[in-house]
Amino acid sequence: MINIITHYSHQLLSGFGWTLLSSVLALFFSLIIGSLFAIMEILPNKTARFVGRAYVELFRNIPLLVITMFFYLIIPLYLVKINGFTAGTIGLTLYTSAFIAETIRSGIQSVDTGQMEGARSVGMTYWQAMRYIILPQAFKIVIPPLGNQFVNLVKNSSVLAFVAGFDLMYQANSIASTTFDTINSYLVIGVLYLIITMPLSYYMRYLEKKIA
Amino acid sequence: MKKKFWLVSFLTIILVVLSGCGKQNSSQQSVLKNARASNTLTWGVKGDTKLFGLIDVADGQSKGFDVDMAKHITKHILGPKGKAKMVTVTSQSRTPLLKNGNVDAVIATMSITPEREKILDFSHSYFDAGQSLLVPKSSTIRSAKDLNGKTVIGVVGSNSVNNIHKVAPHAKVVELQDYAQAVNALKSKQGDALTTDNGILYGLAVENHGFEVRGGTFTKEPYGVAVNKGQDDLTKAINQAILEMQHSGEYNHLIKKWFGDVPGFDYKELYRK
Amino acid sequence: MSMIEFHDVQKYYGQFHALRDINLEIDKGETVVLIGPSGSGKSTLARTVNGLETIQSGQLIVNNRDLSDAKTNLNILRRDVGMVFQHFNLYANKSVLENIMLAPRIVSHVPEAENKKAAMDLLDMVGLADKAQNMPSQISGGQKQRVAIARSLAMKPKLLLFDEPTSALDPEMIDDVLQVIKQVTSASDMTSLIVTHEMGFAKEVANRVIFMDAGQIVEDDDTKSFFSQPETQRAQQFLSKIITH
Repeated sequence: MINIITHYSHQLLSGFGWTLLSSVLALFFSLIIGSLFAIMEILPNKTARFVGRAYVELFRNIPLLVITMFFYLIIPLYLVKINGFTAGTIGLTLYTSAFIAETIRSGIQSVDTGQMEGARSVGMTYWQAMRYIILPQAFKIVIPPLGNQFVNLVKNSSVLAFVAGFDLMYQANSIASTTFDTINSYLVIGVLYLIITMPLSYYMRYLEKKIA
Repeated sequence: MKKKFWLVSFLTIILVVLSGCGKQNSSQQSVLKNARASNTLTWGVKGDTKLFGLIDVADGQSKGFDVDMAKHITKHILGPKGKAKMVTVTSQSRTPLLKNGNVDAVIATMSITPEREKILDFSHSYFDAGQSLLVPKSSTIRSAKDLNGKTVIGVVGSNSVNNIHKVAPHAKVVELQDYAQAVNALKSKQGDALTTDNGILYGLAVENHGFEVRGGTFTKEPYGVAVNKGQDDLTKAINQAILEMQHSGEYNHLIKKWFGDVPGFDYKELYRK
Repeated sequence: MSMIEFHDVQKYYGQFHALRDINLEIDKGETVVLIGPSGSGKSTLARTVNGLETIQSGQLIVNNRDLSDAKTNLNILRRDVGMVFQHFNLYANKSVLENIMLAPRIVSHVPEAENKKAAMDLLDMVGLADKAQNMPSQISGGQKQRVAIARSLAMKPKLLLFDEPTSALDPEMIDDVLQVIKQVTSASDMTSLIVTHEMGFAKEVANRVIFMDAGQIVEDDDTKSFFSQPETQRAQQFLSKIITH
């Protein structure tokens, strides 16, 4: 294990960097996209609801690898060249945003309907009620499941390995096939994944306690 | 704070224990004796490599030169009733599967290299390949030297990637999971050329019009049958079997069967006596 | 001058005919109590008045605004129509004081100092000034309902709707809430529509009683005559059951 760390520190660090960058980008964008589609899913407007529903069902029910391959192999044939890292990060973002949308939607819908009626009955608009009353309460409800989604996102970023995205998994494959020390190659990146996911888990738990 | 400390220590201990498992010795029993007892040799062969080992969708069997070699070698070692069992491996999985005893021997487009010889034993070479390039017919790349500044696609677990670094130090290399994905990536212009052994590349060129093998071979890649260290009797038996096949003409028959129709490939150069 | 006018209003939930041929006028300053068996449509009727429920046909005019017209801005209408709910519906994420101050601040942009003073006065009136900083989850049901009443008053409404304001309360809490409602509705310029099961309270505060059954208005009379000699058999039955219980 020590051998691998000392001999391949450059590859491992670069893999760690790409995994971290992909995770941060995907987390940021999937949170924004997921929130937008979650709100679309609960709007009174039927078309908006349909579009939101369709998006979530589409990306939630297709394997992440298929979405990623689509961006890596199909899109470049017809539209624009996308490198492996970008294709993987886009795939990760779309896939995760569908789960985040679902998490946020159920969070919003689990806020008692009386809260919306109470807010509307004093003349607040739908969006004011959302902003001041519903979303802050929903936020509190969705933090634990959202934390799970974030941790899953980091782990799912290993999809980058399949499209040559230079992430931890890619480097481990490469190191394992050079050194033939499969177990230790994957153990090392296992630890590196933990270094990203454990603080994330702890932070989400801290946030949960702080807000509650 | 104390809780976290214990959790982290616990995880660390588990990891250390697990990493110790990596040093386990593969069984020192004689693979050849076991094979004779069960009248079966288990082979690791490719499933994604046309001409060498490609799974036929019709019957789910892997077919190709390597697979036929495995069958013939088995008969030579175990006799006409000897059974050859095929297990599909990839460039990435073939070494671990051999080391942990899932297969007795690997015949899967595996070049004999000094790095590999440190942990595995090889038979004499049974096929002389060399690394080459597959490019779109319209490509300006003429030889391996033109690869500097270009992106080259390889496959994880093959040694072709390291060779590229030697011939063209400024080429960018991306490794994909298997040849099918590598070809698709080449079609999607994720790279300018696909590199691996010429035998494999010719197989890919047969199936993908618009692409051709270029620039000749820039390395020598002698394929060998890999077996675990310490199985000298098996290695000897395999060497003996290959020699017998060359003398009897079985070998040349298989070369013609698989490489006779490949355009741009002089199969007779591969004949052995 | 009328505050509420129903003309041939019909309301359906899918196939279910929830309100049938409703014709009703309530004048400014009136305190009207709406009674009837459960499922008779009395809550639904109250909720149509501020547009929480939509109507399918007929005309409904509240405070000179036509709710049957899709172009009517309900948000503006609701500034003048307060509502008190059976389950209080206090904002769970806001303190008692913030519950009262939020709408004046973001809907009618009352200056902060003035808003706070008005809110504290209202809390004083309902006897809960000491709970201003508490969260809704930290106070009792009866206290919540008094805060909810203060909240509905903060927008200085011309019309107040009460939808079974004491039904979810423990018996010993009810009196405090009823006292507050009585005080609020007795103001001469306040119009009130109260859905309730409290007959004693109805007798005490209402100047008019409407009895509903199966989505229809069965009786509409001044309080004294309704309770002394109900005209219809249905109302007589209802009253006898309530009183024997």
